[in-house]
Amino acid sequence: MPAEHRPAWQRLLAAVTLIAGLGVLAVALFIWSGVYPVGADREHLGITTWLLTQVRERSVATYSSTVEVRPVHDPDMARLGAAHFEGGCVPCHARPGEPVNAIVSGMLPPPPDLAAALAKREALEEIFWIVMNGLKYTGMPAWPSQLRNDEVWAVTAFLDRLRETGPAGMNAYPSMAGIDRLENPPPGGRPAAEARQPLTECRRCHDDSGLPTLSALVPNLAGQSETYLRRALHEYFGRRRPSGIMQPVAGALSSAGMERLAAYYAALPPPPAAAVDAKAQERLRGQDLARRGDPDRDVPPCLACHGDGRAPSFPSLAGQHASYLLSQLELWQRGGRASTAHGRIMASVARRLTARQMRDAAAFFSSEERQPLGGRATAAGGQP
Amino acid sequence: MRAPRFPALAVLLPLAACAGVQSALDPAGGEAGRIHTLSIVLFVLCTVIFVAVAVLAALALFGSDEWRSRLASERLVFALGVVFPVLTLVGLVLYGVTIMGMAAEPAGAGRDALRIEVSGERWWWRVTYITEDGVRIESANELRIPAGQPVPIELTSADVIHSFWVPQLAGKLDMIPGRTNTLTLHVREPGISRGQCAEYCGGPHALMSFFVIAMTEDDFAAWLLKEASEARPPAGEAAVQGHALFLASGCGGCHTVRGTGAAGVIGPDLTHVGSRHSLAAASLPNDAPSFARWIRDGQHVKPENLMPPYGIFTDAELASLSDYLDHLD
Repeated sequence: MPAEHRPAWQRLLAAVTLIAGLGVLAVALFIWSGVYPVGADREHLGITTWLLTQVRERSVATYSSTVEVRPVHDPDMARLGAAHFEGGCVPCHARPGEPVNAIVSGMLPPPPDLAAALAKREALEEIFWIVMNGLKYTGMPAWPSQLRNDEVWAVTAFLDRLRETGPAGMNAYPSMAGIDRLENPPPGGRPAAEARQPLTECRRCHDDSGLPTLSALVPNLAGQSETYLRRALHEYFGRRRPSGIMQPVAGALSSAGMERLAAYYAALPPPPAAAVDAKAQERLRGQDLARRGDPDRDVPPCLACHGDGRAPSFPSLAGQHASYLLSQLELWQRGGRASTAHGRIMASVARRLTARQMRDAAAFFSSEERQPLGGRATAAGGQP
Repeated sequence: MRAPRFPALAVLLPLAACAGVQSALDPAGGEAGRIHTLSIVLFVLCTVIFVAVAVLAALALFGSDEWRSRLASERLVFALGVVFPVLTLVGLVLYGVTIMGMAAEPAGAGRDALRIEVSGERWWWRVTYITEDGVRIESANELRIPAGQPVPIELTSADVIHSFWVPQLAGKLDMIPGRTNTLTLHVREPGISRGQCAEYCGGPHALMSFFVIAMTEDDFAAWLLKEASEARPPAGEAAVQGHALFLASGCGGCHTVRGTGAAGVIGPDLTHVGSRHSLAAASLPNDAPSFARWIRDGQHVKPENLMPPYGIFTDAELASLSDYLDHLD
């Protein structure tokens, strides 16, 4: 049947099919030819940039809408966030108020001027979401451990602070991020050569002789058992214990370095116990829980594993910050620490605790004096 | 050949379960015996009546006119349809009430001295013997009683509703939180029976079992004396190391081993665990490999049980810990 005798809609369909087919062919030819420049030395076409921005902003808004915002006005959170920022984010984003370095400025897109970018971004949940999930094709990575939203909130708290004060108000940054803690090395020199890079210098966040931790969300290490410290470092190194902050730090250590660090901190005199403050009631209830457990809820006494007779691979909790203990218990309840054999033991116990019991136990242990293991190293039990 | 055989097998297989330590058809005394007698009477009577009804029905359908007219008589219908059922049912009820009411002869003198409490826990049994001086001797997942006399057992629950059922010895009785139900066991001869939780109580309910061991009065007295004693100190290098591991790894937070620092009250008392008939509420045989398996893979053996999985031990450590526990007899 000749073409002109076909109905009009058939002829239209044929024409449309032809044009679409040619279009697909043209696009395929364009991609195959490789003429679109992917080099980071040249900006995208205006239309491409616009399109990418729209997609990014809409996606961030949509996916962050389910984020539950946490209170972020906690100096301990901001300091922990700043300390991680210094190690994990500064290489690309630069310290507040400083220009990004020449290498990084060659990225496309370049890491944004954070202060300016934050000023434009009003929703806290969007900041959290970007830090947690990263952004495709921008070089912004996702948080190494998706279970650690507490760590991401700490960084968000710092960014919130930066957003409020602007870079000019960031005079406090060196002390927030613990940079000034590196200026006065401890008597007897640095613990280990491995730990000198800014990212991995333990002292910037953790306690040292005569130096408290940078934040109450950072654990006291002094006087902790060597076996436990070695186990913790190995778990971070092997990415079995989730933490976007500690995994990269431990990942840069050698086996011998971990040994030396564990020995160094185990030998330090234990931190002073927190002053017994107004939370006496909490502390007393915590003491009861630690000594007798809560049989009605199948909760064993904490001290059965964390007391003086504990296996060396179990940590001492005495003298630990209440905020840190609480954040870890919450992490355990979320199932965030069930990926190691030791963690699975505590995971089943932590799930049985009420919110109040967790606060009580944290208050009690923070006000206790840390005791070294009493010659029980023979009890074994501690493979890393 | 195969296809016709299979249904026959399928019918026969369940019957294999009708003999042995957990069978109501193999009573070992007391209430279970009476239940068994009552069941047999009921089965025989029902069979006779069923056959009679079938015969009458056949006569009504295929019989001679003479038979059919006899069956249609009003008197016969009244006799078989009203009088017979009333008499039979009343008789059965009276018989049942009488035979089941013959329970709990008053406990013999000297026996009321000892009380036995069994508390259902998720998912095990806490068994406590209370002497006349009020001394509480705690054990778990195994009930030992003297044979040849009625023994009242006080049943309660620590959490949810469980049900105590030893088919060879008695009917089932619920264990209800905050309430004590008393069940009397009267075992004729020394021997072993198996019991089972008979009220769904969560995850591993099906693996909540126990053994009842009836012993002669003398054996029981000797056993109780031993059960009341402290755990024997570890002997041998492995057991000593296992003992140290037990204490250092927090086992004592939930378990008691009398005579050591372990005084936990959440899980079963392990003072004489090595002497028991089974492990993990009759889920595993009682030997060293089972201890090791339970400690490391308890969540596979009995999913959702409340003991944390202890995957932290090396094989050598696990072996010494199992050795220590196995020797707690």
